[in-house]
Amino acid sequence: MMNEDLSFSEARDVLRKWRDDNERKSDEVVQVFEYCLADKVKKLGNEKLIILEQVFIASLDCGRIKLAEDCIRVLISEFPESLRIMKLKSMLLEALERYDDALDVLESIIKRDETNAGPRKRKVAILKAKGQIGDAIKEMCDYLKKFMSDQEAWHELCNLYLMEGDYNKAAFCMEEVLLHNPYSHLIHQRLGDIRYTIGGQDNIEIAKSYYAQAIKLNGNNLRALYGLYLCCNHIALSKAQIAKRKEAQKLASWALQKISEITEKSTGKSSNLTGVSALEAAFGNLDIKTN
Amino acid sequence: MSEVVLSQKAYIKMVFHAAKYPHSAVNGLLLGSKSNKTEVVDAVPLFHQCLYVTPMNEIALIQVESKAANDGLQIIGYYAASENFYDNTIDKVPAIKIADKIVENNGSAFVVVIDNKSLCMDMKHSGLKAWHSNDGKWAKAKHSLSDSKNTIDAVSLLLQRGAMKELNDFDNFLDNTDNDWTNQNLNFDLKKILAMH
Repeated sequence: MMNEDLSFSEARDVLRKWRDDNERKSDEVVQVFEYCLADKVKKLGNEKLIILEQVFIASLDCGRIKLAEDCIRVLISEFPESLRIMKLKSMLLEALERYDDALDVLESIIKRDETNAGPRKRKVAILKAKGQIGDAIKEMCDYLKKFMSDQEAWHELCNLYLMEGDYNKAAFCMEEVLLHNPYSHLIHQRLGDIRYTIGGQDNIEIAKSYYAQAIKLNGNNLRALYGLYLCCNHIALSKAQIAKRKEAQKLASWALQKISEITEKSTGKSSNLTGVSALEAAFGNLDIKTN
Repeated sequence: MSEVVLSQKAYIKMVFHAAKYPHSAVNGLLLGSKSNKTEVVDAVPLFHQCLYVTPMNEIALIQVESKAANDGLQIIGYYAASENFYDNTIDKVPAIKIADKIVENNGSAFVVVIDNKSLCMDMKHSGLKAWHSNDGKWAKAKHSLSDSKNTIDAVSLLLQRGAMKELNDFDNFLDNTDNDWTNQNLNFDLKKILAMH
């Protein structure tokens, strides 16, 4: 694998890039660290500690407890009193499934610093890991009453509601996220997805608008194009006014046109052409709802 | 108890899908021939981003069904792996409604759940659990792999080499249409590798 052949500075740069982009590449992080940096930790200078933190979290993600313990030992000796390190300690306990001990650590952090959002969110994560989705939702709602502008948390709450099949509440959370990112095509598209899933004439109309906005913001969003196509087909086959149905039909064929333009670019290699014709042929008799 | 036989190709794709996205729930469809509804010939990996919304599900089902029909196959089952490490039973399977829908269309269906706890770089057994539709309920079913010992050895070896990254699911296709969800390239490579075993 190519990760083994990186030079020292390349390895440092790639870790920095993943850190900045907030990418979950735990496997790769651990690999790059072990192959390229582990024996040169001292050379990392002022990036050393932040890299150790990154590797610590990645190794927990990969179940590499031993490596995680090596990392946190250095961090603790450097900052014995730090709340940030205490949070890492609770994550180690979490990975060992010692949830009660982890909660104790988190509570003591919150006691010392009430404005600290991180440990409160870890509490939600613990409930989620234990499979108590209902309790996780409750905890997250409590959290959001105090930290209303945390869009990452709204997004996670949306996912939790989706897992529970509570689509109306999921939509509400996504609308909050949309307020923070009014120009994100992905969030418009996800809202379209949720509205379409709820179903019913009104929701399909709303979904159609969300998809249309998503496409306006990014004409290459294939999910939004497919979504728009589904909505318009739905409307065209509904009992709406003739004019509305005709307009929907026109929009559906426009969406299909766009879809084939995008998929045709890669049909040299695969068989996606049949995909578009299959949509045209099969339409109208499929209506599934996941839980 | 009914029994389902899984081809090497189908099995490897399922395991790859779960291994490529270890922190997410994943799901997909199982394809069998028109005449034999107890033998899974191939698997189509569908989603890993959001399993709980329907629009892209509808699109995927239409496209997979038509592609399968072209190859003389049909959708005979559903597979999934849960996000939570310990959720490995039928009542915790994400988006099980898809399987209900397959039963509705087909008369019967298999559900294969990937047991998160058994997945590792050195697999000892298949790490799967299977159910079969039975009068509106899901009943435990037996499953077997074709050429089981060699298949499990091969999948372990491939996982160690990180080969699961070669797999594309329908979400990858929607992100970039160059990612082929039928995985022609992977099929070709697997054929070569398995022949060497």
